[in-house]
Amino acid sequence: MSMERTPLSDKDLWRSLATDRVAPTAVSEMDFAAWLEGRLSEADAAGIDAAVSANPELRRAALELSDILGKPLPAAAPRMAVRGQALVGFEAERRAERGSWLAGLLPAFSRGFALQRGALAGMAVVVAAVGFMLGGGLGESYATQKYASAQPSGVTLSKPLGRDTTNELNDLFADAT
Amino acid sequence: MTELNQIDLRALAAGSKRTWDAFVVAATPLINAVIRRTLASYRLSEDDVMDAAQDVFVRLCANDFRLLKTYDPARAGLSTWLAVVSRSAAVDYARRRRQATTPIDDVPEAALAVEDRHVEKLKIPEGLLTERQILILRCLYDEERDVAEIAQLLKIDAQTVRSTHHKALLRLREHFRGEVP
Repeated sequence: MSMERTPLSDKDLWRSLATDRVAPTAVSEMDFAAWLEGRLSEADAAGIDAAVSANPELRRAALELSDILGKPLPAAAPRMAVRGQALVGFEAERRAERGSWLAGLLPAFSRGFALQRGALAGMAVVVAAVGFMLGGGLGESYATQKYASAQPSGVTLSKPLGRDTTNELNDLFADAT
Repeated sequence: MTELNQIDLRALAAGSKRTWDAFVVAATPLINAVIRRTLASYRLSEDDVMDAAQDVFVRLCANDFRLLKTYDPARAGLSTWLAVVSRSAAVDYARRRRQATTPIDDVPEAALAVEDRHVEKLKIPEGLLTERQILILRCLYDEERDVAEIAQLLKIDAQTVRSTHHKALLRLREHFRGEVP
Protein backbone atom coordinates (compact mmCIF):
# COMPACT_ATOMS: atom_id res chain seq x y z
CA MET A 1 0.00 0.00 0.00
CA SER A 2 1.42 3.39 -0.97
CA MET A 3 1.95 5.89 1.86
CA GLU A 4 2.27 8.78 -0.52
CA ARG A 5 -0.17 11.54 0.28
CA THR A 6 -2.31 12.86 -2.52
CA PRO A 7 -1.44 16.52 -3.12
CA LEU A 8 -4.13 18.91 -2.00
CA SER A 9 -6.02 20.79 -4.69
CA ASP A 10 -5.53 24.56 -4.78
CA LYS A 11 -8.92 25.02 -3.13
CA ASP A 12 -8.22 22.51 -0.38
CA LEU A 13 -4.80 24.01 0.20
CA TRP A 14 -6.39 27.42 0.75
CA ARG A 15 -9.07 25.93 2.99
CA SER A 16 -6.42 24.20 5.10
CA LEU A 17 -4.83 27.53 5.98
CA ALA A 18 -5.94 29.97 8.67
CA THR A 19 -7.04 32.89 6.56
CA ASP A 20 -9.06 34.94 9.04
CA ARG A 21 -7.54 38.33 9.59
CA VAL A 22 -8.22 41.37 11.68
CA ALA A 23 -10.19 43.86 9.63
CA PRO A 24 -8.34 47.12 9.05
CA THR A 25 -10.01 50.47 9.81
CA ALA A 26 -13.28 51.31 8.07
CA VAL A 27 -13.20 52.35 4.42
CA SER A 28 -14.83 55.63 3.43
CA GLU A 29 -17.43 55.68 0.67
CA MET A 30 -15.26 57.92 -1.48
CA ASP A 31 -12.20 55.65 -1.08
CA PHE A 32 -14.27 52.58 -1.82
CA ALA A 33 -15.68 54.16 -4.98
CA ALA A 34 -12.18 55.14 -6.14
CA TRP A 35 -10.97 51.58 -5.47
CA LEU A 36 -13.90 50.10 -7.42
CA GLU A 37 -12.88 52.20 -10.41
CA GLY A 38 -9.25 51.12 -10.11
CA ARG A 39 -8.14 54.72 -9.62
CA LEU A 40 -6.02 54.28 -6.50
CA SER A 41 -2.25 54.03 -6.43
CA GLU A 42 -0.80 50.59 -5.72
CA ALA A 43 -0.06 51.54 -2.12
CA ASP A 44 -3.54 52.97 -1.48
CA ALA A 45 -5.20 50.07 -3.27
CA ALA A 46 -3.35 47.59 -1.06
CA GLY A 47 -5.06 49.09 2.00
CA ILE A 48 -8.49 48.63 0.46
CA ASP A 49 -7.53 45.16 -0.80
CA ALA A 50 -6.73 44.23 2.82
CA ALA A 51 -10.02 45.66 4.09
CA VAL A 52 -12.04 43.90 1.40
CA SER A 53 -10.30 40.55 1.88
CA ALA A 54 -10.75 40.70 5.67
CA ASN A 55 -14.44 41.70 5.62
CA PRO A 56 -16.90 39.32 3.90
CA GLU A 57 -19.67 41.95 3.81
CA LEU A 58 -17.38 44.49 2.12
CA ARG A 59 -16.23 41.81 -0.30
CA ARG A 60 -19.78 40.94 -1.25
CA ALA A 61 -20.62 44.63 -1.64
CA ALA A 62 -17.64 45.07 -3.96
CA LEU A 63 -18.61 42.11 -6.15
CA GLU A 64 -22.28 43.08 -6.36
CA LEU A 65 -21.66 46.76 -7.10
CA SER A 66 -19.08 45.84 -9.72
CA ASP A 67 -21.67 43.59 -11.35
CA ILE A 68 -24.43 46.24 -11.28
CA LEU A 69 -22.20 49.02 -12.61
CA GLY A 70 -21.11 46.85 -15.52
CA LYS A 71 -24.62 46.22 -16.86
CA PRO A 72 -27.50 48.20 -18.38
CA LEU A 73 -29.94 49.25 -15.68
CA PRO A 74 -33.64 48.40 -15.73
CA ALA A 75 -36.10 51.28 -15.38
CA ALA A 76 -37.41 52.07 -11.92
CA ALA A 77 -41.02 52.78 -10.96
CA PRO A 78 -41.87 56.45 -11.74
CA ARG A 79 -43.13 56.86 -8.17
CA MET A 80 -39.57 56.43 -6.87
CA ALA A 81 -38.37 59.51 -8.76
CA VAL A 82 -41.47 61.54 -7.88
CA ARG A 83 -40.91 60.91 -4.17
CA GLY A 84 -37.23 61.81 -4.46
CA GLN A 85 -37.96 65.04 -6.33
CA ALA A 86 -40.44 66.13 -3.68
CA LEU A 87 -37.67 66.31 -1.09
CA VAL A 88 -36.26 69.51 -2.52
CA GLY A 89 -38.48 72.52 -3.18
CA PHE A 90 -37.90 76.10 -4.19
CA GLU A 91 -37.18 76.88 -0.54
CA ALA A 92 -33.79 75.21 -0.81
CA GLU A 93 -32.88 77.31 -3.80
CA ARG A 94 -34.05 80.56 -2.22
CA ARG A 95 -32.12 79.87 0.97
CA ALA A 96 -28.96 79.49 -1.06
CA GLU A 97 -29.56 82.64 -3.08
CA ARG A 98 -30.63 84.89 -0.21
CA GLY A 99 -27.46 86.72 0.74
CA SER A 100 -28.27 90.36 1.74
CA TRP A 101 -30.17 91.63 4.79
CA LEU A 102 -32.56 93.43 2.47
CA ALA A 103 -33.41 90.21 0.66
CA GLY A 104 -34.01 88.68 4.04
CA LEU A 105 -36.79 91.20 4.69
CA LEU A 106 -38.75 90.01 1.68
CA PRO A 107 -41.50 87.45 2.21
CA ALA A 108 -40.55 83.91 1.42
CA PHE A 109 -41.86 83.47 -2.10
CA SER A 110 -40.40 83.87 -5.55
CA ARG A 111 -38.37 86.94 -6.27
CA GLY A 112 -40.43 87.84 -9.36
CA PHE A 113 -43.67 87.95 -7.43
CA ALA A 114 -42.13 90.14 -4.70
CA LEU A 115 -40.99 92.63 -7.33
CA GLN A 116 -44.50 92.80 -8.74
CA ARG A 117 -45.97 93.53 -5.36
CA GLY A 118 -43.37 96.21 -4.71
CA ALA A 119 -44.10 97.88 -8.03
CA LEU A 120 -47.84 97.82 -7.42
CA ALA A 121 -47.42 99.30 -3.96
CA GLY A 122 -45.28 102.09 -5.39
CA MET A 123 -47.81 102.88 -8.07
CA ALA A 124 -50.60 102.98 -5.49
CA VAL A 125 -48.63 105.55 -3.47
CA VAL A 126 -48.06 107.69 -6.57
CA VAL A 127 -51.75 107.59 -7.58
CA ALA A 128 -52.86 108.51 -4.09
CA ALA A 129 -50.41 111.40 -3.91
CA VAL A 130 -51.43 112.80 -7.32
CA GLY A 131 -55.10 112.51 -6.51
CA PHE A 132 -54.60 114.26 -3.21
CA MET A 133 -52.73 117.13 -4.82
CA LEU A 134 -55.41 117.56 -7.51
CA GLY A 135 -58.03 117.76 -4.80
CA GLY A 136 -56.31 120.77 -3.24
CA GLY A 137 -54.23 119.26 -0.53
CA LEU A 138 -54.71 118.71 3.19
CA GLY A 139 -54.82 122.40 4.24
CA GLU A 140 -57.67 123.32 1.86
CA SER A 141 -59.69 120.34 2.88
CA TYR A 142 -59.35 121.17 6.58
CA ALA A 143 -60.31 124.82 6.11
CA THR A 144 -63.40 123.92 4.07
CA GLN A 145 -64.56 121.53 6.77
CA LYS A 146 -64.00 124.11 9.53
CA TYR A 147 -65.98 126.88 7.86
CA ALA A 148 -68.70 124.54 6.72
CA SER A 149 -69.29 123.36 10.25
CA ALA A 150 -69.39 126.96 11.61
CA GLN A 151 -72.10 128.29 9.17
CA PRO A 152 -75.82 127.50 8.88
CA SER A 153 -76.76 125.52 5.83
CA GLY A 154 -77.83 127.30 2.62
CA VAL A 155 -75.43 130.26 3.02
CA THR A 156 -72.85 130.73 0.32
CA LEU A 157 -69.42 131.03 1.83
CA SER A 158 -66.33 132.75 0.62
CA LYS A 159 -63.65 130.23 1.09
CA PRO A 160 -60.47 131.71 2.59
CA LEU A 161 -58.17 129.57 0.48
CA GLY A 162 -58.51 128.49 -3.09
CA ARG A 163 -61.13 129.37 -5.66
CA ASP A 164 -64.76 129.45 -4.62
CA THR A 165 -66.76 127.46 -7.11
CA THR A 166 -70.14 127.50 -5.33
CA ASN A 167 -71.27 130.72 -7.12
CA GLU A 168 -70.44 129.26 -10.47
CA LEU A 169 -72.68 126.31 -9.75
CA ASN A 170 -75.43 128.67 -8.47
CA ASP A 171 -75.01 130.75 -11.57
CA LEU A 172 -75.52 127.70 -13.72
CA PHE A 173 -78.82 126.87 -12.00
CA ALA A 174 -79.92 130.54 -12.09
CA ASP A 175 -79.28 130.78 -15.83
CA ALA A 176 -81.33 127.66 -16.37
CA THR A 177 -84.47 129.16 -14.90
CA MET B 1 -33.07 62.77 -20.23
CA THR B 2 -29.95 64.10 -18.50
CA GLU B 3 -27.24 61.51 -17.79
CA LEU B 4 -25.63 61.42 -14.36
CA ASN B 5 -22.28 62.61 -15.71
CA GLN B 6 -24.01 65.67 -17.25
CA ILE B 7 -25.43 66.92 -13.95
CA ASP B 8 -24.17 70.34 -12.86
CA LEU B 9 -22.81 69.39 -9.45
CA ARG B 10 -22.34 72.97 -8.31
CA ALA B 11 -25.96 73.84 -9.00
CA LEU B 12 -27.03 70.60 -7.38
CA ALA B 13 -25.13 71.31 -4.16
CA ALA B 14 -26.48 74.88 -4.19
CA GLY B 15 -30.00 73.51 -4.00
CA SER B 16 -31.24 74.17 -7.54
CA LYS B 17 -34.67 72.58 -7.75
CA ARG B 18 -34.43 72.03 -11.49
CA THR B 19 -31.01 70.37 -11.19
CA TRP B 20 -32.18 68.21 -8.28
CA ASP B 21 -35.18 66.98 -10.28
CA ALA B 22 -32.95 66.09 -13.23
CA PHE B 23 -30.47 64.37 -10.92
CA VAL B 24 -33.23 62.28 -9.31
CA VAL B 25 -34.49 61.10 -12.70
CA ALA B 26 -30.95 60.20 -13.81
CA ALA B 27 -30.02 58.49 -10.53
CA THR B 28 -33.18 56.51 -9.84
CA PRO B 29 -32.42 53.47 -12.07
CA LEU B 30 -29.02 52.97 -10.43
CA ILE B 31 -30.31 53.48 -6.89
CA ASN B 32 -33.21 51.14 -7.62
CA ALA B 33 -30.88 48.40 -8.92
CA VAL B 34 -28.51 48.64 -5.94
CA ILE B 35 -31.33 48.71 -3.39
CA ARG B 36 -33.03 45.68 -4.92
CA ARG B 37 -29.83 43.64 -5.06
CA THR B 38 -28.89 44.55 -1.49
CA LEU B 39 -32.32 43.89 -0.04
CA ALA B 40 -32.85 40.66 -1.98
CA SER B 41 -31.55 38.52 0.87
CA TYR B 42 -33.72 40.32 3.43
CA ARG B 43 -37.00 39.34 1.76
CA LEU B 44 -38.53 42.81 2.23
CA SER B 45 -41.56 44.19 0.40
CA GLU B 46 -41.83 46.56 -2.57
CA ASP B 47 -42.74 49.34 -0.13
CA ASP B 48 -39.46 48.69 1.66
CA VAL B 49 -37.57 49.09 -1.62
CA MET B 50 -39.31 52.43 -2.19
CA ASP B 51 -38.60 53.58 1.36
CA ALA B 52 -34.96 52.51 1.19
CA ALA B 53 -34.54 54.43 -2.08
CA GLN B 54 -36.10 57.48 -0.43
CA ASP B 55 -33.57 57.09 2.38
CA VAL B 56 -30.81 57.47 -0.19
CA PHE B 57 -32.27 60.72 -1.52
CA VAL B 58 -32.78 62.02 2.02
CA ARG B 59 -29.14 61.27 2.83
CA LEU B 60 -28.02 63.19 -0.22
CA CYS B 61 -30.02 66.38 0.39
CA ALA B 62 -30.11 66.44 4.20
CA ASN B 63 -28.35 69.23 6.10
CA ASP B 64 -28.00 71.44 3.04
CA PHE B 65 -26.67 68.62 0.81
CA ARG B 66 -23.82 67.88 3.18
CA LEU B 67 -23.17 64.32 1.92
CA LEU B 68 -23.38 65.38 -1.71
CA LYS B 69 -20.79 68.06 -1.06
CA THR B 70 -18.30 65.39 0.05
CA TYR B 71 -18.32 63.84 -3.42
CA ASP B 72 -15.05 64.47 -5.29
CA PRO B 73 -15.31 63.97 -9.06
CA ALA B 74 -11.52 63.75 -9.34
CA ARG B 75 -11.51 60.49 -7.36
CA ALA B 76 -14.40 58.48 -8.82
CA GLY B 77 -17.38 58.75 -11.16
CA LEU B 78 -20.70 59.94 -9.73
CA SER B 79 -22.38 56.63 -10.63
CA THR B 80 -19.87 54.57 -8.67
CA TRP B 81 -19.97 56.84 -5.64
CA LEU B 82 -23.76 56.92 -5.72
CA ALA B 83 -23.87 53.12 -5.93
CA VAL B 84 -21.68 52.86 -2.81
CA VAL B 85 -23.84 55.37 -0.91
CA SER B 86 -26.99 53.51 -1.97
CA ARG B 87 -25.56 50.21 -0.79
CA SER B 88 -24.70 51.68 2.63
CA ALA B 89 -28.17 53.18 2.97
CA ALA B 90 -29.81 49.90 1.96
CA VAL B 91 -27.83 47.89 4.50
CA ASP B 92 -28.68 50.37 7.26
CA TYR B 93 -32.35 50.23 6.26
CA ALA B 94 -32.41 46.43 6.25
CA ARG B 95 -30.73 46.20 9.64
CA ARG B 96 -33.38 48.48 11.07
CA ARG B 97 -36.12 46.31 9.57
CA ARG B 98 -35.13 42.70 9.99
CA GLN B 99 -32.37 40.10 9.90
CA ALA B 100 -31.09 38.74 6.60
CA THR B 101 -32.27 35.33 5.46
CA THR B 102 -30.37 33.78 2.58
CA PRO B 103 -31.44 30.63 0.77
CA ILE B 104 -28.89 27.94 1.57
CA ASP B 105 -28.07 27.36 -2.11
CA ASP B 106 -26.94 31.00 -2.43
CA VAL B 107 -24.39 30.74 0.34
CA PRO B 108 -20.82 29.82 -0.72
CA GLU B 109 -19.76 26.42 0.56
CA ALA B 110 -16.88 27.94 2.48
CA ALA B 111 -19.31 29.91 4.66
CA LEU B 112 -21.27 26.79 5.53
CA ALA B 113 -18.30 24.61 6.34
CA VAL B 114 -17.95 23.59 9.96
CA GLU B 115 -14.44 24.16 11.18
CA ASP B 116 -12.68 21.02 12.38
CA ARG B 117 -11.25 22.30 15.61
CA HIS B 118 -9.13 19.16 16.07
CA VAL B 119 -6.97 20.27 13.16
CA GLU B 120 -5.04 23.43 13.77
CA LYS B 121 -4.82 25.43 10.62
CA LEU B 122 -1.51 26.74 9.43
CA LYS B 123 -1.17 30.48 9.59
CA ILE B 124 -0.05 32.37 6.54
CA PRO B 125 2.99 34.40 7.58
CA GLU B 126 2.70 38.14 7.30
CA GLY B 127 4.20 39.32 4.03
CA LEU B 128 4.24 35.93 2.31
CA LEU B 129 1.43 37.02 -0.02
CA THR B 130 0.47 40.50 -1.22
CA GLU B 131 -2.92 41.93 -0.30
CA ARG B 132 -3.95 41.59 -3.93
CA GLN B 133 -3.00 37.92 -3.99
CA ILE B 134 -4.97 37.24 -0.80
CA LEU B 135 -7.99 39.09 -2.17
CA ILE B 136 -7.96 37.09 -5.40
CA LEU B 137 -7.69 33.81 -3.49
CA ARG B 138 -10.56 34.82 -1.25
CA CYS B 139 -12.77 35.78 -4.18
CA LEU B 140 -11.96 32.51 -5.96
CA TYR B 141 -12.29 30.12 -3.04
CA ASP B 142 -14.33 31.84 -0.32
CA GLU B 143 -16.78 33.66 -2.59
CA GLU B 144 -16.57 31.03 -5.37
CA ARG B 145 -16.42 33.66 -8.10
CA ASP B 146 -15.00 33.05 -11.53
CA VAL B 147 -11.96 34.72 -13.10
CA ALA B 148 -14.08 37.05 -15.29
CA GLU B 149 -15.98 38.43 -12.29
CA ILE B 150 -12.77 39.06 -10.36
CA ALA B 151 -11.17 40.73 -13.36
CA GLN B 152 -14.18 43.05 -13.66
CA LEU B 153 -14.05 43.82 -9.94
CA LEU B 154 -10.35 44.68 -9.87
CA LYS B 155 -10.29 46.38 -13.26
CA ILE B 156 -7.56 44.06 -14.52
CA ASP B 157 -7.58 41.52 -17.32
CA ALA B 158 -8.41 37.87 -16.75
CA GLN B 159 -4.87 36.74 -17.52
CA THR B 160 -3.55 38.94 -14.71
CA VAL B 161 -6.01 37.28 -12.33
CA ARG B 162 -4.82 33.82 -13.39
CA SER B 163 -1.18 34.82 -13.17
CA THR B 164 -1.60 36.39 -9.71
CA HIS B 165 -3.49 33.30 -8.52
CA HIS B 166 -0.78 30.98 -9.85
CA LYS B 167 2.07 32.93 -8.21
CA ALA B 168 0.25 33.03 -4.89
CA LEU B 169 -0.25 29.28 -4.84
CA LEU B 170 3.37 28.65 -5.79
CA ARG B 171 4.46 30.74 -2.80
CA LEU B 172 2.09 28.92 -0.47
CA ARG B 173 3.15 25.47 -1.62
CA GLU B 174 6.83 26.43 -1.42
CA HIS B 175 6.46 27.83 2.09
CA PHE B 176 4.36 25.00 3.46
CA ARG B 177 6.22 22.19 1.67
CA GLY B 178 6.37 19.24 4.03
CA GLU B 179 3.58 20.59 6.22
CA VAL B 180 0.79 20.21 3.70
CA PRO B 181 0.78 17.66 0.89
